[in-house]
Amino acid sequence: MKTKNNPLYYILFIAIFAILLPAGYMSGLISVNTISVWGRYFCFAIAALGIDLIWGYTGILSMCQAFFFCLGSYGIAMHLLLKKTMATGAVLPDFMAWNKIETLPLFWQPFQSFGWTLLLCLLVPALIAFAAGFVLFRSRIKGVYMAIITQALTLAMWLLFLRNETNLGGTNGLTDFKTLLGYDLSSSSVKLGLYMISFTMLCAAYFGCYRITHSKFGKVLQAIRDSESRISYAAYKVVDYKLAIFVVAALLAAVGGMLYLPQTGIITPGRMDVKASVEMVMWVALGGRGNLKGAVIGALLVNFLYSVCTSLFPDSWLFILGFLFVITVLYFDKGFMGLANSIKQRFSTGSFKTSQTPL
Amino acid sequence: MKISFTPRWILLICLLLARLAGTAQDSASIYTAQLLQPSADSVRTHAIGRLAALRIPATFPLLMAINDKKLYLLDQKAVTIDSKPSGEGTYRLYTLYPENTLMKNSSGQPLLFPLSALQAVDIPRGDRLQLAGIASLLNLYSNDAQKRILAYTQLKNTGDSSAQQLLQDALARETNTDASRTGKDVLYAAKLHGATNAANAKAYIDSITDNWSDNAPVLLRSYAKSGFFNQEVATYAAEKAASLEKRYDGLQRIQNFFSGLSLGSILILIALGLSIVYGLAGIINMAHGEFMMIGAYTTYCTQLFFTNVLGIPQTDFFFIAALPISFVVAGALGLLLERLVIRHLYAKPLESLLATWGVSLILIQTARLLFGDLTAVKTPLLLTGGWQVSPHLTLPYNRLFIIALTLVMVLLTYAMLYRSRLGLQIRAVTQNRQMSACLGIETRRIAAVTFFIGSGLAGLAGCAITLVGNVVPDMGQTYIVDSFLVVVTGGVGKLAGTILSGLGIGFFTKVLEAFFQAVYGKVFILVFIMLFMQYKPKGLFPDKGRIAED
Repeated sequence: MKTKNNPLYYILFIAIFAILLPAGYMSGLISVNTISVWGRYFCFAIAALGIDLIWGYTGILSMCQAFFFCLGSYGIAMHLLLKKTMATGAVLPDFMAWNKIETLPLFWQPFQSFGWTLLLCLLVPALIAFAAGFVLFRSRIKGVYMAIITQALTLAMWLLFLRNETNLGGTNGLTDFKTLLGYDLSSSSVKLGLYMISFTMLCAAYFGCYRITHSKFGKVLQAIRDSESRISYAAYKVVDYKLAIFVVAALLAAVGGMLYLPQTGIITPGRMDVKASVEMVMWVALGGRGNLKGAVIGALLVNFLYSVCTSLFPDSWLFILGFLFVITVLYFDKGFMGLANSIKQRFSTGSFKTSQTPL
Repeated sequence: MKISFTPRWILLICLLLARLAGTAQDSASIYTAQLLQPSADSVRTHAIGRLAALRIPATFPLLMAINDKKLYLLDQKAVTIDSKPSGEGTYRLYTLYPENTLMKNSSGQPLLFPLSALQAVDIPRGDRLQLAGIASLLNLYSNDAQKRILAYTQLKNTGDSSAQQLLQDALARETNTDASRTGKDVLYAAKLHGATNAANAKAYIDSITDNWSDNAPVLLRSYAKSGFFNQEVATYAAEKAASLEKRYDGLQRIQNFFSGLSLGSILILIALGLSIVYGLAGIINMAHGEFMMIGAYTTYCTQLFFTNVLGIPQTDFFFIAALPISFVVAGALGLLLERLVIRHLYAKPLESLLATWGVSLILIQTARLLFGDLTAVKTPLLLTGGWQVSPHLTLPYNRLFIIALTLVMVLLTYAMLYRSRLGLQIRAVTQNRQMSACLGIETRRIAAVTFFIGSGLAGLAGCAITLVGNVVPDMGQTYIVDSFLVVVTGGVGKLAGTILSGLGIGFFTKVLEAFFQAVYGKVFILVFIMLFMQYKPKGLFPDKGRIAED
């Protein structure tokens, strides 16, 4: 199934996104907005890698990755908003002043420093993932139960973030940022820079995940996916493995969220509602789960389709997405990568064979 | 001069008073006659002015009819009409001075007249303006209870003793309980403030407490603060206020309990189908909420059909028809979905979760294209209002109906599952698919039937939900996560577990809402469920024994 060590794909991927796209922008063929949009897709792809690790490789369907993604985004957003507020000379962000809050809430304080912000953006999702994972995995909640409970967790958090009392901007979310570390976010060069950073982070995340999945640790994860009881009979501490990969996936989602925010300039609770969290899982399903390339391609493809379809036929996007869901699940169990592989096999052996890797 | 109150004197005074009163009555009838058949415009103006000044309660309905321009003549007698027609353009009639009564025929039914049968009496605006000063008093005798309540509250701050007397008279003939409570409250409050000794004040405090209007605790508290007589009366008032508040809180708790019960029954109704389907076929149906939406829209369409095509405006019939129709329509669409998609996904819960999520997106978008974003179903007349258990505790009929419907459906489902051949087969397939197939049960057919029933139950739930909320395309999503929580907590495929956890979750949601805000209540419930699953990972009623996994 895996096209092992075939460097052609990687070279192609890097050539397109690291050289061709920026070159197109430099020569004026591609607008800076297109660059920025692809930069955002890379952030989604990073989160998708995390989902692939936890779902594709370990078999745990976690529906709260969107929540971790938002935690990362919100952290950076709080920092940016505080910086902007300080620059204008005000004491509090506008929305707090509207809500008649006099002093900056305690949990906003650390976000005044960039170092703390980075640390907290990673630490908070990791801790929440650890706590939730500890409780859930310890009681051997798995499969559908896990999916539903994590979904409910996301729903509850979404409701919390919608409130004004939580001081996170309520339904409107956080928006209207100006600078990041002194760089103007609206300038083209900064956008290109963020694009390159996202791309680099995606590559780094990919190779990190590649290393994980090809290590002994990764093999145990796949063993857990294929038969959890057998691996636990073999004296592996299943809970520890699951917990570790859950935290890693949460971190990846948070990193994606952190990079996503400066490129969109807005984060609202809408990013983590039920719909968004199922959609994130769907990127991986469409791309091909249990396959890191699939996760990346799925995230890029679905989001690209989304932007194309919503501009061409806005009413039918949900139909297209819905049909994609159904058809993928029914006929392309391995997603896009599985389809590509089976076509390739057909051409090489002359007979149509679906791949045999157990899933 | 010394006047001794002998019986003769008293008789004389009585006679004098009677004579005076009689004069007032006589003059009122004279003025009324002048008003209806004036010899000159100035006579009518004078007559109305006099009547307004005399303030005789018996003439109030007449004056109000003038003020509202609803004075008519029927066979030369003054009558007035109801504020709303009681039939196709016909009105109920009330006679005016000297007798103010509803006109009935010999069998005691109210008489109905069209406006054309009546002769309108036109009173010029200038004459009517003379009544402006006593307009609030006139409303005391309105036929409309709401207007009377308003009139009572307007009298609240008048220290005028004649107004108090009028209020007392009006209350004597008050029939509406709400209006009576408001009126008494105003009267007792005025008397309490005018009380001349502590014992009297206490008696009025007691009356206010017994009357128990919404305003009573506030009233007593402010009285206690002002401390009219002595500390003792003030404390007494404060105590009574506290006891009223305590009783009110108690009733509020019952009300909360009731809302929890009704939310719980909605959850049960949705989760019932979900649980059976998941238990039997291992299908997580994320589109289950959309079948509820389909049921709601079916109800809406039934309403349209009944009012527009059949021309039956009455809301009761369409709703009764909508119950089975929504069950069948949602069930049939569920069956279609099962044939097209679900049957490829048996025993693959995670895959089915994603595929049905796709289906739900398609269904939501279809509904949005077909119906737009917001439609509402009229509540049937039968189910408007509520059962007033006590003045401060009303249980709405629509919620009672939902609870009753759930009860019936649960019993039917129980009978279906445990008392019928189909149920036996369903339970067999749920326990062991292969073995059931070996024993000659058509597992595919059973699964399809189960899916039909499950989706139908969701459709029925949707029909019921139109009673309490709007019909919107994504209404299913509001309930789907909650109902999955019910299934998970109750244990998959377990009827008793579903009922217990549905009630529990609905109940706790409402109780926690009373203490915290709605959102925090939800977070608490989630935390609670997560902790609960530490002890019961397979739900409330797990299968006995150990079943090997994988």
